[in-house]
Amino acid sequence: MALKIMVVDDSPTVVKFVSFSLKKSGYDVITACDGMDAIEKISNLSDDVSLVITDLNMPNLDGYGLIEALRQNQQHADTPIIILSSEDGDDDRERGMDVGASSYLVKPFKASVLITEVSKYLN
Amino acid sequence: MSENQPLQYRIQEEISELAASVNEIVTKFRDLQNPLKESSEKVPKATKQLDKISEQTEAATHQMLDRVEKIVQQVEDSKKGLDEIKVCTKDGRTDDISALADDLIEKADITCNDAYTIIDALQFQDITSQQMNHAASLLEDIEVRLQSIMGALKGQPSDETHDEKRRDRKTRVYDPHADLFDKKTDQLAIDDMFARKG
Repeated sequence: MALKIMVVDDSPTVVKFVSFSLKKSGYDVITACDGMDAIEKISNLSDDVSLVITDLNMPNLDGYGLIEALRQNQQHADTPIIILSSEDGDDDRERGMDVGASSYLVKPFKASVLITEVSKYLN
Repeated sequence: MSENQPLQYRIQEEISELAASVNEIVTKFRDLQNPLKESSEKVPKATKQLDKISEQTEAATHQMLDRVEKIVQQVEDSKKGLDEIKVCTKDGRTDDISALADDLIEKADITCNDAYTIIDALQFQDITSQQMNHAASLLEDIEVRLQSIMGALKGQPSDETHDEKRRDRKTRVYDPHADLFDKKTDQLAIDDMFARKG
């Protein structure tokens, strides 16, 4: 059975692009449009999400909030979380690390780079 | 002299009222100075952002068109290769067929990679949409400030309908530094930072 990856971004273009790249590499993809949507979908899933890819700036609940919420949950305390953001300042990366992200990719990115990053955690 | 005294008092009173009202106007203008200054700073910023969007959209489109041109050329070459395979099949030249097939497989791989490059380049939509939201938020901010200045000049307190309008406005969420080509940090440095922490 294919591993499940959750993609969280308020940009439908990014969600489509990331989902396409992940599906081509054999992963199952679930999508969410913001942090709240992601939490709701993850809590309603019958099986585990193996990895989360999230944007930072999103309405309702941003990426930092989502990571904090997931890290507080015992089930997702160790789930790899990759931040995907156009913000490449030191502050954003440090804050991402502090809340518990596993790695940080800067947009725009190459699909091959994303797949390599995902494989680091799932292979 | 005694007749002039009440007049003098009245003049003094008028002057002091005039002074108070001038003082009020000066305070009001001082209050208006900041929003005006901030607004005038935001207009060039928004214009710059819009110019950047236009440049980056153009660059991304050129990048994609170059790749599409390459893909079309590969398809044309592949068609020629298939025609040659047909001729070889008729003539029974199996060795040539195998070589041509290998060439076609190689061309298909190149075409596939070019298609992926186009997909990568399509991310410009997300980046430019964030830049446009940034520019729009700057312009909306200017509108709010100008409306508050107009209100102050008319002596109106706070415009409630304007506050309602602001509430109804689309929530704009964007990365203010989103950029298609100009990255301050390379990915390796970021990976290194996370690895050190891990």
